[in-house]
Amino acid sequence: MAMKYAYHPGNIAHSSATEVSQTMEPTARSLGIELLPMNGATSCGAGIIRQANDLLQVTLNARNFAIAESMGMDIITPCAATAGNLNEDLARLNGDPLLLAKTNEVLQRTSGLTMSGKLSIHHLLHVIVDEIGLDKVSEKVRNPIDFPIAGFYGPNMQQEGACGEDDVFDPQYLELLIKALGGEPVMWESRTQSVGVPGLFSEEATVLRQIASTINDAKSEGAAMIVSACTLSHTALDIYQGKASRATGLLTNIPVIHLTEMLAFAFGHYNNRLAQLRTRIAVIGD
Amino acid sequence: MSTSTLLILFGSESGNSEDLASIAEKQAKSLGLSPSVKGMEEMEIGDLDGAQNVLIFCSTWGEGEMPDNAVDLWEAANGDSPPSLSGCNFAVCALGDTSYEFFCQSGKDWDGWFEKQGATRLLDRVDCDVEYDDPAAEFTTNALTLIASARAGTGGEALSSAETSVESDESSEETGSEEAQDETASGDLEGLISSGDRSLVILFGSQSGNSEELAAKISKDAKSYGLVGEVHDMDGFDFNSLSGKKRVMVLCSTWGEGEMPDNAEDMWQFAISDSASRLEGTHFAICALGDTSYEFFCQSGKDWDARFEGLGATRIIDRLDCDVDYDAPAAAWSLEALPALAAVDSTGQFHEEMVDSIKMYVSGSLAGAEGDDGFSLPEIRSEPVQVGVTVFRYDPETSSTGTDTWICSLPGHMSVLEVLRTLKSSQDGSLTFRDGSADDSNTAISVNGRLILPGLSRIDSVAPMREGAISLRIEPLPGFEVIRDLAIDPWPLERKREFSNPWMVAATREGAHTPQGTMGIMDPAIAARIHSMRDFGSQNILHSSSDAVPHANGYLGPAVIASSWSRRNDPRTSPSKGEEIDSLLSSPNGIKAETDLAPIKRQSSVPSAVSEALLEAKNSVLTGDGFNGKHGKHVWWYTWTVKSSGMVNDTVIYRQALGPFALLGNLFSGVTARMVLGFTRTGGNVFNGMLGMVAPPAGIGKMPKQFNSSVDNHHEVVAIFNEMDGRF
Repeated sequence: MAMKYAYHPGNIAHSSATEVSQTMEPTARSLGIELLPMNGATSCGAGIIRQANDLLQVTLNARNFAIAESMGMDIITPCAATAGNLNEDLARLNGDPLLLAKTNEVLQRTSGLTMSGKLSIHHLLHVIVDEIGLDKVSEKVRNPIDFPIAGFYGPNMQQEGACGEDDVFDPQYLELLIKALGGEPVMWESRTQSVGVPGLFSEEATVLRQIASTINDAKSEGAAMIVSACTLSHTALDIYQGKASRATGLLTNIPVIHLTEMLAFAFGHYNNRLAQLRTRIAVIGD
Repeated sequence: MSTSTLLILFGSESGNSEDLASIAEKQAKSLGLSPSVKGMEEMEIGDLDGAQNVLIFCSTWGEGEMPDNAVDLWEAANGDSPPSLSGCNFAVCALGDTSYEFFCQSGKDWDGWFEKQGATRLLDRVDCDVEYDDPAAEFTTNALTLIASARAGTGGEALSSAETSVESDESSEETGSEEAQDETASGDLEGLISSGDRSLVILFGSQSGNSEELAAKISKDAKSYGLVGEVHDMDGFDFNSLSGKKRVMVLCSTWGEGEMPDNAEDMWQFAISDSASRLEGTHFAICALGDTSYEFFCQSGKDWDARFEGLGATRIIDRLDCDVDYDAPAAAWSLEALPALAAVDSTGQFHEEMVDSIKMYVSGSLAGAEGDDGFSLPEIRSEPVQVGVTVFRYDPETSSTGTDTWICSLPGHMSVLEVLRTLKSSQDGSLTFRDGSADDSNTAISVNGRLILPGLSRIDSVAPMREGAISLRIEPLPGFEVIRDLAIDPWPLERKREFSNPWMVAATREGAHTPQGTMGIMDPAIAARIHSMRDFGSQNILHSSSDAVPHANGYLGPAVIASSWSRRNDPRTSPSKGEEIDSLLSSPNGIKAETDLAPIKRQSSVPSAVSEALLEAKNSVLTGDGFNGKHGKHVWWYTWTVKSSGMVNDTVIYRQALGPFALLGNLFSGVTARMVLGFTRTGGNVFNGMLGMVAPPAGIGKMPKQFNSSVDNHHEVVAIFNEMDGRF
C-alpha cells in the first residue's frame, strides 16, 4: 500500500529548479509514495521572511500545517531548507501553547483554519532511510549510479529533531543511500555547512567563497559529482560555481544534481538525462 | 550458626515465581549457600518444621486466590496443626497486578501466616506489580545477603538471637538487624554507610519541574552519604514497592487549590486506597514546595506527610515547607535529611547516635562541592569503547598540515580533554592544544563539526556509536588562525571586540531609594532578557558557529554582534551609545555580513536566546534601513512576492535585489549563461511554457518565469499578511 504524504515541493521547484519537481514524482512512484498536493500551500519562508517578521513566517507555515492536517497527513518535501524551516516553526508552535493559540486565532480569522500541531515534517531522505528502508531501495535500482559522489546536506535540515535518527553534525543517511544506489560515497567535511544562500543577493562575495570552498572540498576528496538534499543549495552550487571559481581561483567545475534526480536516474526514469550526466562527468567536467 | 539451610518456595501459575526461585537458587549458590528449591505442591506443611531460612515467591491468581500449585499447602497451613516456626527466618516476595483489587493477596497471606507461626521476618515483604524484575531482584539480593552474612558469622549472633527471642516487638526489631549490629558495632561508621542496601528512593511530584530538578540534585549529593539515590517520577510509580524500602524522600509541589501536581495524582489516589501497603520499617523525609500567596500552602507535601505516617512509616526529620525561593532552604534541609537517612541501616534501624558522625565524615568530602548551589555533580561511568581519534596537526615551522589517527579503547565517560591529555602524555608529546579547567572557554575545539568545550564533553556523547566504535575528528575552531595543531589565535576576535567599543556608556537616569542607598533599578524581566542574550559561555565557540566567519574577513562575527545587541537593549545605555551601536550593527561588517543564521542555531553550545537575539538584530537593522540596500531589498521582495502569489518569484528578486548592474555582471560572469543553458545539464525542456518564447530569457532553461500563478485561496495569504504585517 502506498505511503501517503502531503507534498510541499519547496520554494523554487516551480521556477529555478524545475528538474526537482519533474524527478520527484516518478521517484515517489517508484518508492511507493503517493504525493498529495497541498493546494494553497505557500513558501516556507526559507528563513528570509523571518528576517522581516518572525511571526509572519510562523503564521504562514501554521497555515501550511493546517492544510496538511486537514488532509490527515504528514508533510514530505525534497528540500532541506523547507524541511528545516517547517520543522523549526512547528517545534516553536508546539513548544509554546500561547503562541499556538494566538496563531490559531489569526488563522481562524483569516482562513477559517486551525492547526493542532500533531503532524510531522519529513525530508524525502529521512522517509527513504527511516520508513522505506535502504534494502528496498536497492532492489529498485536499475541504473547503478556508480560514481564517487559527495552528498550535501546543508545546515537547515541538520538540526536536532529535524534529521530523523541521523547525527546532526556527522550524518550518514545520504552516504548510505548513495551506497544503496551503487555509488561510492565520498566523506567530506563541508557536507553540512552552509553555502550562504540566504545571503546570495546581498553578500555575494562571501557566498561565492562559501560555494567555492564547499565544492573544492568535495573535489579534493575525489568526488565526481555532488548530490544535494537541498533545492536552494543545489541551485546555488550549480549556477554560481563558475563565478565562484573566478572569484576565488579555486577549482569548482563539477556536476551538481539534486537528490531526486539521482534517485530517478537510478530507478530507470529519464535514461537520456543519466546518459547526459555520464557525459558531463566523463568529458565536460561540470 | 555454622551452617545455614535455605528453602526457596514458589507458588506459581504462569511460571514467573518459579523463574525467580531459580534465579534465587543460583544467586544463593554463588554466595556459598546450599539452597533447596521446591514448588509448593511438592511440600507438606510439616516439612517446614525445623526450617531455618525460607524465601517465598508467590503470585496471586483471580480474586486474591492462591496459584494452583499452592492451594493444597495453604489449606494444610490453615489446618488444625500448623507447625511452630520460632527460630525460622523468612521473607516473602509477592507477585501481582495492581489492576486487580486483591493485589498480591497470596503473598500477603503467606507473610501473615509465617509471622503468626512465630517465624522472624528477615525483610519486609515486597509486593511486585507486573514489572517485577527489578524489585524482585533487589529483594532476592537483600535477603540472600542477610542470610549469607549470618552464615559467615558476622551477623550470626543476631540471627541466632532471632531464633530464641522473637516474642516482643522491640526484640524483633533488633533481631532483624544482623547487619545493623555488623554495621554499627563499635561505631563502625564506614561499615554503616558502605554495606548492605543503601538505596534512597526519591520521589518527585512536579508540575513545573522544580521538584524534579531538586530530586536530581539531592540524588547526586546522596552519594557522599553512602546512599544510592534512585529518583522516580511519581507518575507510574508502584507505591507498594515502597514497602520493602528503608529510606524514602518525597519532594512534592502543590498545584491550584492545594491539589497534587498532575504526575502525582494517580499515585496519591492509590496511596489513600485500601490497596496501599503498610510502610512499617520505612523512614521518610518530606520536602514540600509551594507558594505562601496561596491559601493551601504546601498542601500536597502535608498530605504525603500525614499519609506516610498513617501507613506506619517513621518520619526521620520534620517536613520542610518551602516558599517560591526554595533553593537555599531545600539545600539546608537536605544537609539534615541526608545524614539522618544515611543513619538508617539496611534492616531499617535508625542509628541516631551516628548522625553527627556521618555529618562530620561527609563534611570533609563535601569541602570541594562543585556547582553554585553547593551540590556536586554526578559522574556516570560507562564501559570502555573503541574510539578512533583523528586530530588535525599543523606545524608552523614547516607550514605542513595533516592528521594523526589513534585507535584506542577508552571509557565512554572520559572527556575529550582527558583524551587529548592522554594522547599527549602517552603518544605524542608535541600534540598542542589549549588545556584548562573543564569550563575554560579557551579550550574550545571542534569535534566532527560540533563545537564543544572538551572538558565538559564525554566521548560517548559527542559522536554516535557506529559499528561498535566512536569516531572523533578533532579540529581547531573554524574561523580562527591556527597557531599549532588545535591551538588557535583568539586575538583577532579580541580586536574585533575592542573595535566594537563594548564598554558601557550609561545614561543619566532616576534612582530608587533602597536601604542600601539610592541606586538604579531594572525590571527583572528585562534584566533576564539582556543576560540571556550574552549568556553564551564561550565567545570563541559562538564566533566559530557562523559558517560565514571563515569567508568574510571583516565580519565582526556573532559573538560581538550578540554582545552589542544586548548592550543596545540595555535600558541603562545612553542614547548616544545606542546610536553608536546601531551604526556598528548596520555597518557592512555588522549583522548584514552574516549570510545564514541556521548554522549558528544548530550548535547546541549556543543557547537559543542568543540565536534569537541575532535574528532580532538583523530584523532591527533591516527595518531601520527601511528595507533599502541589497539586504533589505532581498528580504522585502522575497516577502512581497510570497504575499502577491503565495510563492517566491525569483525573477522579481533578481531584478529588485541585484539591480541592472549586478544583472549585467551576472551576464558576463557566466551566471546567466548557466541559467539559460540549464537544460543542457538537467536534460529538461529548453522552453518552460510559452513564456520562454514570448519574453525570453525568462522561462528558458533554468531561468525562472516572470509571473507566478497564485496558490489556491490566495486571499487567505493576503489576509494573513494584512493581519500580521501591514508593511507588505
